[in-house]
Amino acid sequence: MKMADGVTMLRRNRPGTKAADFCRWPDQPFEEMESTLVVQQYIQQQICHDPMNVTQILTPPESQDEGVWKYEHLRQFCLELNGLAVRLQAECHPEACTQMTATEQWIFLCAAHKTPKECPAIDYTRHTLDGAACLLNSNKYFPSRVSIKDSSVAKLGSVCRRVYRIFSHAYFHHRAIFDEFENTTYLCRRFTSFVIKVGCADFTLNSSCFRPDRAIHGGSEMIPVKDNEDESCFLVTKHSPWRGKYKRIFSIGTAGVTTYNPTNMEITNRWPYSDFMGALPGPNANHGQVSLA
Amino acid sequence: MKVPDYYYLPGMEDNSSQNHNGQLDPSGGGNVSNKQNDDGSQRTQYSIPGILHFIQHEWAKFELERSQWEVERAELQARIAFLQGERKGQENVKSDLVRRIKMLEYALKQERAKFHKLKYGTELQQGDMKPPVFDDVVTDAKLEADAPFTSVSNISWRQGRQLLRQYLQEIGYADTILDVRSNRVRSLLGLNNNAECEENLNNSSPAVNGNESSNKRASETQGRRTPAKKTQPSSITEAMILDTEAAVMANFEFLSPDVDMDDDDDMSDDLDDQQDDETDDVKTAKRKNKVRPSVLCCQFGVLTLRIDFQCLMMNEGLADDVDAEAEEVLNELNLLTESEDAQNELRAPGGSPSMGFATSSRRPMGALGDDEGLDSSLGLGELAQLTVNNEAEAAYDQIASSKEAYRKMWNAKYTLRSHFDGVRALAFHPTEPVLITASEDHTLKLWNLQKTVPAKKSASLDVEPLYTFRSHTGPVLCLTMSGTGEQCYSGGLDGLIQCWNLPSPNIDPYDSFDPSVLTGSLVGHTDAVWGLSIHNQRMQLLSCGADGLVCLWSPQNKVPLLSTFSSPDDGQPTSVDFVHNETNQMVTAYNSSHCVIYDLETGKPVTRLETSQAENISQDKQINRVVTHPTLPLTVTAHEDRHIRFFDNVSGKMVHSMVAHLDAVTSLAIDPNGLYLLSGSHDCSIRLWNLDNKTCVQEITAHRKKFDESIYDVAFHPSKPYIASAGADALAKVFV
Repeated sequence: MKMADGVTMLRRNRPGTKAADFCRWPDQPFEEMESTLVVQQYIQQQICHDPMNVTQILTPPESQDEGVWKYEHLRQFCLELNGLAVRLQAECHPEACTQMTATEQWIFLCAAHKTPKECPAIDYTRHTLDGAACLLNSNKYFPSRVSIKDSSVAKLGSVCRRVYRIFSHAYFHHRAIFDEFENTTYLCRRFTSFVIKVGCADFTLNSSCFRPDRAIHGGSEMIPVKDNEDESCFLVTKHSPWRGKYKRIFSIGTAGVTTYNPTNMEITNRWPYSDFMGALPGPNANHGQVSLA
Repeated sequence: MKVPDYYYLPGMEDNSSQNHNGQLDPSGGGNVSNKQNDDGSQRTQYSIPGILHFIQHEWAKFELERSQWEVERAELQARIAFLQGERKGQENVKSDLVRRIKMLEYALKQERAKFHKLKYGTELQQGDMKPPVFDDVVTDAKLEADAPFTSVSNISWRQGRQLLRQYLQEIGYADTILDVRSNRVRSLLGLNNNAECEENLNNSSPAVNGNESSNKRASETQGRRTPAKKTQPSSITEAMILDTEAAVMANFEFLSPDVDMDDDDDMSDDLDDQQDDETDDVKTAKRKNKVRPSVLCCQFGVLTLRIDFQCLMMNEGLADDVDAEAEEVLNELNLLTESEDAQNELRAPGGSPSMGFATSSRRPMGALGDDEGLDSSLGLGELAQLTVNNEAEAAYDQIASSKEAYRKMWNAKYTLRSHFDGVRALAFHPTEPVLITASEDHTLKLWNLQKTVPAKKSASLDVEPLYTFRSHTGPVLCLTMSGTGEQCYSGGLDGLIQCWNLPSPNIDPYDSFDPSVLTGSLVGHTDAVWGLSIHNQRMQLLSCGADGLVCLWSPQNKVPLLSTFSSPDDGQPTSVDFVHNETNQMVTAYNSSHCVIYDLETGKPVTRLETSQAENISQDKQINRVVTHPTLPLTVTAHEDRHIRFFDNVSGKMVHSMVAHLDAVTSLAIDPNGLYLLSGSHDCSIRLWNLDNKTCVQEITAHRKKFDESIYDVAFHPSKPYIASAGADALAKVFV
């Protein structure tokens, strides 16, 4: 893009730039961007332009590949969530928040470990963000930022779900921090709209809500505190996109499905039936694989 | 283990069951039977199952031993491969050393001529300048065109030799080590490479090194890193070299009678020596390993000598002293190289042709620092400079392509992917293969290069971060690590400088949060912090910010801020560095393209570097990075207008200026020995420069663009052979 005096406009944050001028350059139309990181550029430009205009930010340019669009947005969410994590570090101490909880109803287990465990909330936050950073930058699943395999797009859902709990925790336990952060970034609002809009498979959200408590349902690593009686149990192998395969005792109970760690009989996961959208035989159905959604 | 002679029949069942269960564990079976023997139930009775068992057990034992031998053999083979690799390394060092000595000699001759001219006002009867030319032409013609020796004028040959001898005697310096024969052999091997060289001036293109050298390189790295695999290529190359050397030797033998006819006895001696030397090259290979420490010591010695020389040559007015000092330098050199005498003496006669090449190749070391070299390069237009090499370099390449074969080429090995946005800065641990990256995603990450994730189908390895430093509330812009490797400091857009204790490089990435990693923040800047520099002896930290301040900190103190410097006339400071060869100075670069050296005690400017002289200032000449040489009074600046400029700290004068990249130069790093300069640019490439002659040694395209930015930072590991680059594409790469 040429400026009036004929000098090429360069969008750079040169050393010495004042914080107020950081990334303060004229918007560049999406069509004129030539880099391989166009989508990130475009999203960041939109956010910089007006962080409040969630609809604008979440509207993809024409003929934009949906997978890449979701992927880049999720990267951006995780990036900005670092800001919330920094604030939480100051207040959310492991002694106070010994478990990752939002409402009293659920305890979330940290999926970053070989066997998911009850990390304190701040560790859960850090581990989840670190794990998301590794997954989203993984050369195996996301070797390119220009095109993304469908199988990898499917992984984005579980990242969304886990990351969302950070909002939930902040909302219910550190409301001051949440409000302060939200009022400057509008991140939770944007994330909620994003999740509704792109329809990440694990979410069953009512539209038009941005309250984080609505979004926490669904997915794994949650332990409802409700009573549940196990009806029948099976020894199964869980195929997790995060941690590979491991043995679990899978029980079908009165109120939901529970998995236990066979070595110490601890509950690892529990889902109420209301959260299931369906059960399908997996790709190797003759070996007894089942996909739950 | 005893052989069971007999078996107790009732126990037979036990034994045989043991057999069936564990043939792999013969000792178990043996023990059982031995025990039975000791029990005293002694009946000397052979039975078929017993004998069978014995045979089986013996067989198993032999198998076991055999496999052990196999393992041992594999280990030894690996060891051999490793040693071969090491030997290559030694040769590298040696050739480098030889090159330096040649440079020194050439410089001496130049000075001698200059001195003579000044003193007598006439051109020196340069016996020592011309003969090498003849000499060189002769040998080159012979080797390259394969022309018979007699076709060249014998007179000029003789004359040349005598003059040369005179020169050598005059300086009383017979220890010239010049490895010309292996040089020639390799030129022969790579004749096609030479042809390419003439046309393709781009030093960094792989074609220059051609097949032979890349082969060598491959075998070298393999030898070093994966000793167990592929020792084959190295031996093939070796064999090729040996073959060619033999051929050249034969050539020499055929020539020697000719020389005898024309020349005195010494002459033939010379040639014999040369031949001896030739063989020596091959045979002393093993010996070289032992000479290693002294070679290294020599290298450093020569390095300092060369530096002396540079200083000398910069001061034209001191020409009178030059000669005396040069003599001194040479004497020193003598001392230094004494440890290599055994080899050197053999090579002494061989030194002459190479010196000739030095002269004939039109100022090959033109950038040694003398003013004429500078003038000529300044005279060239920008476009001319844009080609990575100048003509002289090409000539140098052509003749000394063997040197190129030895040169280390850097290859991307590790990719550090875990940041969500551009990586603004990186810093290596002083000793461990560990580094930290700072990113615009508000975090810093710690990486251990020894903890890699095996990546499929890819030459480069992925590394997963060990620890994520979170405390900045905005992009992290700069980073520096203490000399102990225990602390690091990061500056961010939020105006804070955070002080971190480094977690152990073996920490579990998903360990619980340890608040003691963040030890505090240095509050003083009111705007983005763009530059940090640490002084390890003084335990002091310099920072510069967009608020126009340069701050000096002592992070350990109760009140860490020691002093602030501001200079509103110069604009925003962009980069700071301590002056390494002065105890109490720092250099600050500004976005107005000014660059000033301050005294830290008084806070007063000492020298203003003449950055804005002559050239049109209309262009954006912002300085993006300033670094000082670890030992010389030299400051290097990276400019937005694609230039890298070199300044003398004392006079403030510009020593050299070059268009270094196709786009703004963003980052600079000087290797710990002060020999090479690494630069990164928004043109997506990093370039490695030889600080002697300011030529590009290698160019690597490393990162992709985001908006108009590409590479933010480059770094040398302080003690290990790693370089790294950080890019706007959220990646950092490490090269070995």
